[in-house]
Amino acid sequence: MTAGSAGPAAGMCFACGEPVGATDSFCESCGAELAPLSVSDGRDGGSPVCESCSSSRVSADGYCESCGRRVRSGRDHEEVDLGIVAGVTDRGLRHHRNEDAMALATAGTVAGPAVVAVVCDGVSSSVHPDEASLAAARAAAGVLLTAVRAGRDPLAAAPAAVRAAAEAVAGLSRTAGLVGDPPSSTFVSAVLTSEAAIVCWLGDSRAYWLATGPGSAAQQLTRDDSVAEELVAAGLLSEDDALASAQGHVVTRWIGADLTNPEPHVMRFEPPGPGALLLCSDGLWNYQPAAGQLAELALPAALTDPLGAARALTSFAIDAGGMDNITVVLAPFPVSADPMPRRRQP
Amino acid sequence: MSEPDFTVEIYQNEYLPEGGRDVNAVVTVATAGTAAAAPATAASSAEIIIVDCSGSMNAPPSKIAEARAATAAAVDVIRDGVAFAVIAGTHQAAAIFPSDGSLAVADPQTRESAKRAVAGLRPGGGTAIGQWLWLAHRMFTSHPAQLRHAILLTDGKDEHESSEDLGTAISLCEGVFSCDCRGVGTDWEVAELRRISTALLGSVDIVPDPAGLAADFSDMMAAAMGKQVADVSLRIWTPQHASIQFVKQVAPTVEDLTGRRAGSGPQAGDYPTGAWGPGESRDYHLGVQVAAAGAVGQEMLAARVSLVTASPAGPEVLGQGLVRAIWTDEEALSTRIDQHVAHYTGQEELAQVIQEGLEARKQGDEDTATAKLGRAVALAHQSGNEDTAKLLAKVVDVVDAATGTVSLKKKVADADEMALDTRSVKTVRTRK
Repeated sequence: MTAGSAGPAAGMCFACGEPVGATDSFCESCGAELAPLSVSDGRDGGSPVCESCSSSRVSADGYCESCGRRVRSGRDHEEVDLGIVAGVTDRGLRHHRNEDAMALATAGTVAGPAVVAVVCDGVSSSVHPDEASLAAARAAAGVLLTAVRAGRDPLAAAPAAVRAAAEAVAGLSRTAGLVGDPPSSTFVSAVLTSEAAIVCWLGDSRAYWLATGPGSAAQQLTRDDSVAEELVAAGLLSEDDALASAQGHVVTRWIGADLTNPEPHVMRFEPPGPGALLLCSDGLWNYQPAAGQLAELALPAALTDPLGAARALTSFAIDAGGMDNITVVLAPFPVSADPMPRRRQP
Repeated sequence: MSEPDFTVEIYQNEYLPEGGRDVNAVVTVATAGTAAAAPATAASSAEIIIVDCSGSMNAPPSKIAEARAATAAAVDVIRDGVAFAVIAGTHQAAAIFPSDGSLAVADPQTRESAKRAVAGLRPGGGTAIGQWLWLAHRMFTSHPAQLRHAILLTDGKDEHESSEDLGTAISLCEGVFSCDCRGVGTDWEVAELRRISTALLGSVDIVPDPAGLAADFSDMMAAAMGKQVADVSLRIWTPQHASIQFVKQVAPTVEDLTGRRAGSGPQAGDYPTGAWGPGESRDYHLGVQVAAAGAVGQEMLAARVSLVTASPAGPEVLGQGLVRAIWTDEEALSTRIDQHVAHYTGQEELAQVIQEGLEARKQGDEDTATAKLGRAVALAHQSGNEDTAKLLAKVVDVVDAATGTVSLKKKVADADEMALDTRSVKTVRTRK
């Protein structure tokens, strides 16, 4: 979009207050990136303060120097609200850090607003899984956002996004003399437009279509790359038994330097009616894998308040035990133009 | 001085039940390398051998003869360049080499001169160990060496001074030099030498037969020559209002360090561990009570354990480990028992019940003695502490080791009882 084009004014620039067009990526007045990528990198937390005793002396290893409590790092709980898509990621109750990451963005296109979302879950048996998931989510979402802004086919952009994520993660293992499995992460991405959702994944982070009402059944869009899935597919175990088995949660495909050229799954899904797209890590679906049940938990709130619904699903997983890190991203469909894109919440 | 690499490892169950406040951990400190690795710069080491020359060393005469031979053997092991001296102890103390009360620098000539002086030692007089320590202190502090170590040999009780006099001398020497103590024969007091060796971070043992002295002395001196880093402390940081219940060395021997704390900054205190050489490994048992339990899912740093040594630029941190507390409502997690903590809790009790059992036996309280020593037999059996089990079997007749069913032996050699007492603190390690 060039200056002086006839695009409808859709709001004002958050930086300079000048009007901006609905399909603008950058403010024509001051050049600010209007809808930058929002990544759960813990940077929005400000300088940490102990919640327990209010001391601001926090050690490099993340403990309060006065009362000893672990000080919540920025990544322990993060929320991103972009109006037409929102996400919550949480450490849960059992893990000492959050190894999940998410990256969200919105873009204006000639066909209307679009949503870009990536959820990654660091593989905890690898080294620095928290950095792996963050690097993968950031790199992949960046590629998808650029493609969507340029009007390119998201179906073709998805494998490129995975390659970018793989390179970013491989770069981590080159930085230090690491011992153990190289950093690795699961991956699920989605580009949601007014027409369809393009979903791409590796590992056991999932995408669901959530809907209620006749003829609009909720469904799981992804198939896990996991030992459990293989056991079920081979007819060896029921889904419940497979997930309960010791090896059930072992992923068979992932993003990491020890799996060169990962072949992602890519699929296109046309929503039959109103509903919401859900991306999540296994910290959520471990407690409720059924699409219909998840739809009941998320709807109808997700249609109008995706952040509220994402918080509710996160609380559901925490109340159910919070055994793993939890990440929930919700985008309502149809994608409506949000008049005032909100900034992410600290 | 090239310092060996230190590692600090923490073994614990970090999970606490709701309301739980007690955190236990075993801290394993180890140095890299082998004992034969490059030794410290000789100029930074000083050694003093303190030999009992009281009249009783002549009964039998082999005692003083073996003490002379043992001292000579230890002198032979002192490396070139190390500052050294020999003190003869009676009801007073005399520098017999060098006779001016300074420290000599070891070389072939000075070692020969020292051995000639030692060969001339003649017994006569009483025993005032505090006097010996005073002189050693004066000689050590007149020299700039950092690694200061003494070997002290006696055959009798500290009869010619008060217990307070001895206590004053021990306090004076604390932190100035370390001291390994040996009692030869059976006329000395275990508690007395343990008081010295504990305060001065050394070992104590019985050498029942004087003929065993020379080998023991050269081993001790060889171990001392392997030390490279002086005055290493465990620096323990704890959260506000937390209390440190205990800090104990638990391997290779049990030594309670709880009372040895020296404040070292806000919420931190230092506990001395003495000198370290390459290829060493020691375990410490730490108990911390935090002021208030956290909510389920909360994590707290219950202690940060750092290993520090003084350097010209200030304290240098050689290694660090974190003792954590995480509250959980999952019983499977909070009831898990860390095997290292459990093992050493047992080894500490073993040392304690042996000492209590022997004391009860001395007091004529046979029931208590039987119960305590029976418990000791069971603990030694369970933990695979075979050396201690063998020593116990010389004091009690074991009916069933697993249950600790024993009866007191009617006749027990003094040497066996004293060996059990002195060696009660020796622990075995967990199978890792």
